[in-house]
Amino acid sequence: MRTSAAVGAGALALGTSRIYAAGSDTVRVGLIGCGGRGTHDTTKCLNSAENVELVAMGDLFKDRIDRSRRTLKERLAEKIKVTQDTCFVGWDAYKKVLACDVDMVILTEPPHFRPGHLKAAIRAGKHVFMEKPVAVDPVGVRSVIASSELADRKRLTIVAGTQMRRISHLVEGIKRIHDGAIGELVGGQCVRIGGGMLTWGQKERQPNWSDMEWHLRRWLFLAWLSGDFIVEMHVHNLDVMNWALGAHPVQCIGMGGRQVRTAPEYGNVYDHFAVEYEYPNGVRIEYMGAQIDKVSDRNDQRLVGTKGRAYADFGRIVAEGQNPFKYEWDEVDPCIKQHADQIAAIRGGKRLNEGRRIAESTMTSIMGRMSAYTGRALKWDWAMKASNLDLGPPRYEFGDLSMRPVAIPGKTQLI
Amino acid sequence: MKEKVREKTRQLSRRDFIKTSAAGAVLASGTNRIFAAGSDELRIGLIGCGGQGTRDIISCVKSSRGVEIVAMGDLFKDRLQQSLDELRKDVPSAVKVASDKRFVGFDAYKKVLQTNVHMVLLTAPPHWRAEHFQAAVEAGKHVFMEKPAGVDPKGIRSVIKTAELARRKRLSVVAGTQRRHSKKYQETIRRIHDGQIGKIVAAQGYWNGSDMLGYWQWYEKDGRSDMEWQCRSWPWFTWTSGDHIVEQHVHNLDVLNWALQAHPVQCIGMGGRAIRDLGNIYDHFAVEYEYPDGVRVSSMCRQINGCTERRAEHVVGTKGVADVNLGVITGERPFKYDGPDPDHYVMEMADLVRSIRDGSPINEGKQVAGSTMNAVMGRMSAYTGRALKWDWVMKASKLDLTPPKYEFGDLPVRPVAVPGKTKLV
Repeated sequence: MRTSAAVGAGALALGTSRIYAAGSDTVRVGLIGCGGRGTHDTTKCLNSAENVELVAMGDLFKDRIDRSRRTLKERLAEKIKVTQDTCFVGWDAYKKVLACDVDMVILTEPPHFRPGHLKAAIRAGKHVFMEKPVAVDPVGVRSVIASSELADRKRLTIVAGTQMRRISHLVEGIKRIHDGAIGELVGGQCVRIGGGMLTWGQKERQPNWSDMEWHLRRWLFLAWLSGDFIVEMHVHNLDVMNWALGAHPVQCIGMGGRQVRTAPEYGNVYDHFAVEYEYPNGVRIEYMGAQIDKVSDRNDQRLVGTKGRAYADFGRIVAEGQNPFKYEWDEVDPCIKQHADQIAAIRGGKRLNEGRRIAESTMTSIMGRMSAYTGRALKWDWAMKASNLDLGPPRYEFGDLSMRPVAIPGKTQLI
Repeated sequence: MKEKVREKTRQLSRRDFIKTSAAGAVLASGTNRIFAAGSDELRIGLIGCGGQGTRDIISCVKSSRGVEIVAMGDLFKDRLQQSLDELRKDVPSAVKVASDKRFVGFDAYKKVLQTNVHMVLLTAPPHWRAEHFQAAVEAGKHVFMEKPAGVDPKGIRSVIKTAELARRKRLSVVAGTQRRHSKKYQETIRRIHDGQIGKIVAAQGYWNGSDMLGYWQWYEKDGRSDMEWQCRSWPWFTWTSGDHIVEQHVHNLDVLNWALQAHPVQCIGMGGRAIRDLGNIYDHFAVEYEYPDGVRVSSMCRQINGCTERRAEHVVGTKGVADVNLGVITGERPFKYDGPDPDHYVMEMADLVRSIRDGSPINEGKQVAGSTMNAVMGRMSAYTGRALKWDWVMKASKLDLTPPKYEFGDLPVRPVAVPGKTKLV
């Protein structure tokens, strides 16, 4: 507790763990999940505002903590207040980070762990920044929604790493769309194709690795850990569609498979998906995604309305039709902005909770994957309320763990 | 491929058959045959005696009075015989195929064309369509050809050229895209063209169905030569069928082209084999087609059992939406087609025979070639992972899936396409 201001009685009653009066108060951060993204997010977070410090780190693997800590130290020097005593390794590392004197945690373990870590963090009274996606299955999504509701009751902030929500041109452009610039939305496309990720991570399985360790080291390619790339990566793009449409899908039908990434080191994920999402009022949105090298790359969103249409990518949004507009990215780093917003909300005692929103975008991705894996059309309500899919392993320990076979539509059961 | 509804609606009343005009001779037309009255015989030949060819010729006989089957040709004797047996059972009085008018082999089609038939049905596997079509039109025959009109750009270009020749020769050409002859489709699409859903801004076409095994025949290799095995098992090989996006989904793509009154400008597609292990075709495709004025249209087709099925065409406008396959329009000016919708397979034949007898040729050659090209470019894009432009595919692509020679010998199976690796040709 490093707050310099007096503790207000009102705030006490709310049960918040930390009270911040002014911008100068130090925010103490813990990092749970010290991979590349966690290191990146920590860098952005600590650079987003004054007096933000990293005080604890946790990961399943010591080598990942060591590497991350070294990198962070080089980048951020005195902001890294982590000591040997506040570095935790193992399955319960997250609990130990949460037991430290931190105000906020960054949750960047593989997506499978997000629901459990979020729940523990909120219960422990910590503010949370969590990377997308926030779950890999409906059981996890429901847990994240419950934790988000708890966070509201505890006046804790949650920000999700969907930085496109803060990229200036999309903020402006989607506001125009919501104001009716292209009329009523009647269609759209969301396409992200390219990048086989074949060189990601350590390919060679080491002799001392158990099955579980192999899964974890190759987590991107194991559906139970990453959710598959439609969830792990393309949730960004689907989140933009949900944002623009102001809704989540009602149902979907999808297909997919693996045509290139077939070697054993690529686990059991697909390399291409195509999903048609139907939004309220029968609006059909087509998503196509692939992680395949040497194909025609594309990464864009398109929204079709009764009075025009808008094209959007990372750099710009352009609308044509009755009310044309164009916005380009203002070059403010949205990855910095998302942390700055959160630190400000924490210090200002403002509500900022993106938990449900990112849970819904994650579910959008998950239902697309479930439909492609099984070949079955799915309804949102069923997936959200009735699906019992839980991809978690029987137990968390470094031992034997068989890999689920690559999904086969028409055979893989819808659960 | 034809849907299940076919069997239910095959029967037509006699009244429907007799629609042929009794108008006077159409001397001025320059057609090689003149039909004076509806009772005149129309001699037809069948080139490609498989299941679809047999069903088509039965539909043809049932569609109009005075249709006689006089010649048949197939690559295989047993297939020809099976077809003949079926015809004798189903339309016995129309079967007038003398034993010396049954031809077998790679040149069987030439021999059928040398007989005195007025019209031929081209229902050999799609690979042969271009060659057979050209020969038929050069021989002055009216043509019914099954979809698709080819399997590669080379074949499609040939079909377009031949269709133009047919136009000059005033020959009728009808393609087996039978939805074009459906009252329900015609009435719905006419309304779309009349602006009933406003300006078209998006559309979707689907053929998500079964794996076709059992309907499409699969022959084990056994002692057969590569060529015989692949020709018999033609739906499962890309060079013979074009893959299912071409062979089957062309129906839905044709409806979209019809509704949008255009063909795509470019496309980007994906696909693969999630379960199929026969031949070298994929079992699923998804393609985004971009039409003129930036209108994007989505296509999905899948042949996997146990999955949710959907065969449909959906067109989205600024003032409404058309579910074309249902004959339903919703929006500002709703519509539901509730009139009769006689068997599309019989209607397409009735329209064809009438056009021949009336001397007012129908020519669907270019139209089906265009829709086939939609499907072929979608497949090419999915196989290679590359976005493609229509103009490039139509004018510059050199893709030609023809085997080195037509003979029953060795013919290695091309590997299953791998996007990013399979070359764009």
